[in-house]
Amino acid sequence: MDPLEMQDDSKKSNKPKYSKFTQQELPACKPLLTPSIVISTFLLVGILFVPIGLASLSASQEIVELVHRYDTSCVPLADKVGFIQDTKTDKSCTRTLTVPKHMKSPIQIYYQIGDFYQNHRRYVKSRSDKQLRYKDAVHLTKDCEPEVYGADGAPIVPCGLVAWSLFNDTYTISVNKKAIEVNKKDIAWQSDKNKKFGSDVYPRNFQNGNLIGGAKLNESIPLSEHENLIVWMRTAALSTFRKLYGRIETDIMENDQLTVVIQNNYNTYSFGGSKALVLSTTSWIGGKNNFIGVAYLTVGGFCLFLALFFVVLYMIKPRTLGDPSFLSWNRCTLDYPN
Amino acid sequence: MKRFVYINDDSCRYSYCDNRISNTKYSLWNFLPKNLWEQFRRFMNQYFLLIACLQLWSRITPVSPATTWGPLIIIFIVSASKEAWDDYNRYLSDKKANERKIWLVKDGIHRQIKAQEIHVGDVVWLHENDEIPCDLVLIGTSDPQGICYVETAALDGETDLKTRIIPTISANLSVEQLGKVKGVVECPNPDNDIRRFDANMRLFLPIIDNEKCPLTINNTLLQSCYLRYTEWACGVAVYTGNETKSGMSRGAAEPKLTAADAIIDKLTIAIFMFQIVVVLVLGYFGNAWKYTQGLKQWYLMYPVEGEAPWYDFSIIPLRFELLCSIMIPISIKVTLDLAKGVYAKFIDWDEQMFDWETNTPAHSANTAISEDLGHVEYILSDKTGTLTENKMILKRCCISGTLYGNDNGDALNDVRLVNAISSNDPDVIKFLLVMALCNTVVPIKSNDDTVSYKAQSQDEEALVNAAANLNMMLISKDSSTAEICFNGSKFRYELLDILEFTSDRKRMSVVVKEGQTGKILLLSKGADEALLPLACPGQQIQKYLEAVEMYSQLGLRTLCLGWHDLKESEYKEWSKNFQEASCSLDNREFKIAEVCHSLERDLHILGFTAIEDCLQDGVPETIKLLRNAGINVWMLTGDKQNTAIQIGLLCNLITSEPNSQLLSISGKTEEDILRSLERALLIMKNTSETKDLAFVLDGWALEVILKHSKESFTRLAMLSKTAICCRMTPLQKAQLVAILKSAGYLTLAIGDGGNDVRMIQEANIGVGISGREGLQAARAADYSIGKFKFLKRLILIHGRYSYNRTAFISQYSFYKSLLICFIQILFAFLSGLSGTSLFNSISLMAYNVFYTSLPVMTIIFDKDISETTVMQYPQILLHSQAGRLLNPTTFCGWFGCSLYHALVIFFITICAYSDEKSEMQELSMVALSGCIWLQAFVVTMDTNSFTYPQILLIWGNFVAFYMINLILSAIPSLQLYTIMFHLCSQPSYWISMALTVAVGMGPVVAFRYFKNLYQPSAINILQQIEQSNGSIQTSGNLESARANLLNLLTGSRKNRDSYYHPLLSDSAESARTD
Repeated sequence: MDPLEMQDDSKKSNKPKYSKFTQQELPACKPLLTPSIVISTFLLVGILFVPIGLASLSASQEIVELVHRYDTSCVPLADKVGFIQDTKTDKSCTRTLTVPKHMKSPIQIYYQIGDFYQNHRRYVKSRSDKQLRYKDAVHLTKDCEPEVYGADGAPIVPCGLVAWSLFNDTYTISVNKKAIEVNKKDIAWQSDKNKKFGSDVYPRNFQNGNLIGGAKLNESIPLSEHENLIVWMRTAALSTFRKLYGRIETDIMENDQLTVVIQNNYNTYSFGGSKALVLSTTSWIGGKNNFIGVAYLTVGGFCLFLALFFVVLYMIKPRTLGDPSFLSWNRCTLDYPN
Repeated sequence: MKRFVYINDDSCRYSYCDNRISNTKYSLWNFLPKNLWEQFRRFMNQYFLLIACLQLWSRITPVSPATTWGPLIIIFIVSASKEAWDDYNRYLSDKKANERKIWLVKDGIHRQIKAQEIHVGDVVWLHENDEIPCDLVLIGTSDPQGICYVETAALDGETDLKTRIIPTISANLSVEQLGKVKGVVECPNPDNDIRRFDANMRLFLPIIDNEKCPLTINNTLLQSCYLRYTEWACGVAVYTGNETKSGMSRGAAEPKLTAADAIIDKLTIAIFMFQIVVVLVLGYFGNAWKYTQGLKQWYLMYPVEGEAPWYDFSIIPLRFELLCSIMIPISIKVTLDLAKGVYAKFIDWDEQMFDWETNTPAHSANTAISEDLGHVEYILSDKTGTLTENKMILKRCCISGTLYGNDNGDALNDVRLVNAISSNDPDVIKFLLVMALCNTVVPIKSNDDTVSYKAQSQDEEALVNAAANLNMMLISKDSSTAEICFNGSKFRYELLDILEFTSDRKRMSVVVKEGQTGKILLLSKGADEALLPLACPGQQIQKYLEAVEMYSQLGLRTLCLGWHDLKESEYKEWSKNFQEASCSLDNREFKIAEVCHSLERDLHILGFTAIEDCLQDGVPETIKLLRNAGINVWMLTGDKQNTAIQIGLLCNLITSEPNSQLLSISGKTEEDILRSLERALLIMKNTSETKDLAFVLDGWALEVILKHSKESFTRLAMLSKTAICCRMTPLQKAQLVAILKSAGYLTLAIGDGGNDVRMIQEANIGVGISGREGLQAARAADYSIGKFKFLKRLILIHGRYSYNRTAFISQYSFYKSLLICFIQILFAFLSGLSGTSLFNSISLMAYNVFYTSLPVMTIIFDKDISETTVMQYPQILLHSQAGRLLNPTTFCGWFGCSLYHALVIFFITICAYSDEKSEMQELSMVALSGCIWLQAFVVTMDTNSFTYPQILLIWGNFVAFYMINLILSAIPSLQLYTIMFHLCSQPSYWISMALTVAVGMGPVVAFRYFKNLYQPSAINILQQIEQSNGSIQTSGNLESARANLLNLLTGSRKNRDSYYHPLLSDSAESARTD
């Protein structure tokens, strides 16, 4: 016999090995968008969302928030920019506010700035995280352009535009003519204080150039203790933002008179930005923000409406699922638009 | 251009390359530059390289350059290492071949050298079962007759043994003389034609003989063949290394681009344009903002003195370009390649496409084009061996007017024929003699004295076997004699010449000399139209024609046999001419044909053989299914018209009269043919769709039509669902494919033999059947299968699923890239159009590489409807054919979806995280989480069937996102430090996520539901059918619907161009509609 053929006979079978995977026969579940599934899903979402929305909304409504915009009222009308840039004039400005509702402690004091682009590319990059953290990294100022060297030519600590433009308005608050303490400790994240800002890094050369940006820093206190700086350096993603200024740890009663003495130092006038003082209580949802509650109620309501609509539609125009007569090749050709 | 090879002459030894084979694409030195060059020739890679280089410029880059360099380098390394691995394997196999030990003879001394050291002119000594190391001219063998056998399977895929003969000039050399032989071989320069070798040889030593001896391919031993059944053989190396015939025929196949790939490319370019527009607009407004607002923002400290204006102006647009560069997903190519690799593996693994009979699994040699299988519009099929078994058996015959085998359908058992043989009817004897002798069959005697036959053509084998059964047994044969055993007594025949079969001549003849009487006979066999015109006048042709007609009605293959005797002198004179023609170096084939024609005349027609070739198992069902799936099936065959039509009827290709009409395009003159073409076109246009129309034409008509009226034929081809083209040459088969391809159709050619190779290579998809005619077609093809019936599975299951999956993967890749890019753009409006990136570098990189690429891969397990349903409703393939799942319209849907989702994520994020919460890192993570949540739901939404790997990957990825980010949040040096801990502890974060999902997915679900219920697509309905009754048999409604399928199917096909309105220019599509 032909030796070739003998080889053929003894050859092993080339049959592919069987497995559910190779044959694409893995067990599968095939959910379809049937009326029952879809309607019950919408119903469920609606039923879940409405209470959550109500809870969020009421939490948000319970928060007492006092917003007072002072940037227009605390400057003379004529030459705002000239006024704010003049270092010699007294910029204090006293405002009196009435508390509309009982405010439970802790009451957060924020400053709110509008139209300030902390998220601008030029701004957001102009900082050196290494320099802020490590004593030896004083010279790592590559990214800090254009605020790198002080008047003596040595690097600025902390360098960069972000630190340089530190907010420097101050508020002195008294309730019913009685001064109360504003706690400015623990306003920054603990993690930032521990790991991002060095406790052995001291400010140097800060704000001693020709142009003064914002607040000055006490050079004998390490960066990790400058909590206002740490808060400021957490740049905001939006152009209107609030930053924590301090905390009042006593309750304020309804109709109490708040007197705030504002040192109106910070220049938002050259770019037309706004400034406001915000006092607010907190709850589980954070600050006062009706958005989540309203959105949840809207979505929940809409889902319930859709569920109802689908039910009605299904009753008016019932459809048998999987009716082969709807298959395109079973209908006449006119169904195709030309 | 000629090459002179001096045998055993050291002086010219080094003028040609040595025998080192190299199939490698790269060398150690040029790998990096060459591979880089190849990779960066693609538009996408160039684009990413440009982006990556721009990112090195720190003034404009919004994120770290690693976001592009990382993935780019990974992608580069992945493809480079794949190339390197393939090339290394090629190098290893080359090395093995090059270092094989080979015996060389020089000055009578045998010595062993490495195969790579062979030079042109060396005499190589081979032993039985050796692989031939280079192209040799045979000069000696162990066989006294000077023949040897070679197996050429590695070269041409044909499994039969081929006989090789030593040239006459060296026939008388002794073994000693062979060792010292000197001479010169004059041969053409290396080419890749493995069927031709037109050369001459002269020997100087040991015999001074100045006579030129012609050499043909029959005197050669070609590289990569094997020497069989021959103790030894020796030959002169004429071509070595990569210059051998097999070396020259190797070549990198042109990569095929699928229809889906073409659309993806178009979409990429469209997105690129869109990106440019976005960049210009944002750049313009960015500069405007800078000059109106930015300079007033003292804290930005814009320098008072700007740089050069052009430089200043270009910075912001370039920043946006980098920010928007993620619009084009860097991962799409890798993801798709990976998915395509899996599709190909699924084909290889498919148990249901395994052929038990021949022990062959399906194989996809080309892993890149599986989606196109789901697009096939035309199948062009060979007949013999593809639709039929190619297992030939002589069933009937007609000898001098008497029909045998008509009663029982088996001529071999027809009593009248047996009686005629035993009564020594001269015509019958001669008939059997032609059957036994006029062929190129090699009889192989085994140890127990039985004889088996090895033949190149199945017809010849059938004839020799039939003759043997009728007592005319061919027992041995060598180059000059054949021995026949008839009724127990042996007869010797001297084989003087063989007038070979060519597809042009359509006949072959042998000239034999009867051993006893010394009479010289010409025995011929061939196609009826090739032999009947050569018949000597005065024979009853009419009777034969009727018989042929009848046989082909039965679907049998007919061959005409004839003979005529030659005078000695006549033969001598002709023989001289034949020698001359065989020696000519140019135009040899034509000259030989001329000379042959002069001998083949005045034939006495003996009769006809009718050979049956049964249909392959499952062919009619497969063709019916494929036609229901809207695929047009054409049959291209070299066979006769009637036979072809009969086979067509048998295999459901055409139906009988009332339902269908066969339009024959034929005629005696060119005008007739063209007129019948116009008539066919007219009928085709005016007939209602329900009637099956098919046209039939033959090779000659096609030649005329292609010369004069190609346009009308193209129109006819586009209208015609079925066609039978007979008497086609391999070139014409390829031409038909080319016509359909140029009309914009996706063609699949399927065949099994060497004559189908050209059409297989020409078609968009070539499928080879690893059949009896050898593996030639299967080797050239993109896919090889064991049987025609597997084609339905290949197209309907693998093709369709692959297309669906690719459609999803590619569009999803764009979706996720656009999603994150739109968020970046929206954020630009809040950050003073300065080009700040909301997301940090790590998130951006991980988003593309991990978070979004893993879940999308799960779709390779997805099945929208089950295999049984697809087989039951093959019409669903129309969906894929029309490209309904991947086209500009569907892409716009994805585009809109990503825009909507970006808006949802962005606005929910900035509203929920406003005021005191608007911290950059937190906000960015909230937005990123929103993207991850939504994309998990989008993938879930678009998955039709959930298997556990899918569920695992989609939701595992989701969990992995949180794990990775929580881990990153624990590293103090990162910007992300503690951010995720903060977020995860806030209820408002989780509430925002739920809100994002509800707002993002709600409308999508509602829309899908509405569409599913009130405007369902065919896929939706089939899914519903599947769901509603588990299996899909019952319901009378369904049965009646199925009955209508075939008739109503036609309409949807015509209108398929209106399935979508091309938004992007699609010239091929639109050109087709008019």
